[in-house]
Amino acid sequence: MAREIVVMSLFLVGAFLMFLAGLGLLRMPDLFLRMSATSKAGSLGAGLVLLGAVVFFQDWGITARALATIVFLFLTAPVAAHMIGRAAYFDGVPLWKGTVRDDLRGHYKLSTHRLETQATPPDDKESIDAVVQRIDDH
Amino acid sequence: MSVFLLNVLLAIAWSALTGDFSPLNLGFGFVLAYGVLWLLTRKSSSRSYFLQIPRVIEFVFFFAWDVFKANVRMAITILSPQMRLRPAVVMVPLDMKNEIGIILLSNLITLTPGTLSLDISSDRKALFIHTLWVEDEEKFRAEIKSGYERRVKEIIEA
Amino acid sequence: MINTLFILILALLTAGFIAAFIRLVRGPYLPDRVVALDLISILVMGFIVVYAVRFNQAAYLDVAIILALITFLGTVAFAYYLERRA
Repeated sequence: MAREIVVMSLFLVGAFLMFLAGLGLLRMPDLFLRMSATSKAGSLGAGLVLLGAVVFFQDWGITARALATIVFLFLTAPVAAHMIGRAAYFDGVPLWKGTVRDDLRGHYKLSTHRLETQATPPDDKESIDAVVQRIDDH
Repeated sequence: MSVFLLNVLLAIAWSALTGDFSPLNLGFGFVLAYGVLWLLTRKSSSRSYFLQIPRVIEFVFFFAWDVFKANVRMAITILSPQMRLRPAVVMVPLDMKNEIGIILLSNLITLTPGTLSLDISSDRKALFIHTLWVEDEEKFRAEIKSGYERRVKEIIEA
Repeated sequence: MINTLFILILALLTAGFIAAFIRLVRGPYLPDRVVALDLISILVMGFIVVYAVRFNQAAYLDVAIILALITFLGTVAFAYYLERRA
């Protein structure tokens, strides 16, 4: 019985977190905020659900595989978020109009796709700002 | 590092001698070997390993608590009808030179809800972090540097 | 009791799935849709694990694990071509 309680509470919290990730994805106003919601609430939720399965089956083979998957999820979620965020910034996806500060602005070099610590002036052809409007209200 | 390998080796030897390779017995062997090595190296110079393990454990708890706090805050933000947001992309200069340390740091920052590490500058001197709520950039930078960077540095560079 | 809880868990997952699907349809940008697809596959993983426990079928878990591995590759490929396009 104790095992069922643990499994069910892990499942409930995990499912709730994944639901929050979905709701956040729907409600947040721009891509970067949406990724904030999905990349961790999603992977943490999935991790908890997998942990529930580990507690339920109590088998070493399953435990090893599930734990490896949890580690994999936690290693890859940040990488995926970084890659999508970077690609989206180059693609010209605007930030929400309520964003108070954008330190990335002008730091990417368009020709080389390198990220510099010194900002390129916005009138430079190398600056992304010459191509896209970063913060607009949609 | 070599102490760690010795520790793993001793754990395997324990499993081989007891004839039981189940993860539980391996883990028990590891703890046993850890204790033996701790006793043996008390007077020698290779003590950093024993300082590091408690640091790693402390960091895991610190991180788990941070994830919990931040998830609760995130849940409140998403569920409240009027989402209180003050997002910003902040550049945080890095003191750490070690590449593995930087990767670890940026991964950990992404995993705490509310902050998302977007990119690392090509010369590895600055980290660009997107955050849901920022009141004062300097305070945010100081939090990242003293909370995460310092701890990661202690673990990696010890 | 257990059955009611399972229904509640599946309802939560379904609600998340619907929200992610609306975002997938609405966009408005391609990266938004990529993020939505990413979350949908994580939700599908959750469904599979819950069903594996519900019907006591450990074999279903392997599907969830493979799905987690493949999703990451898909997202990385999407991001790669998105950046090439820009």
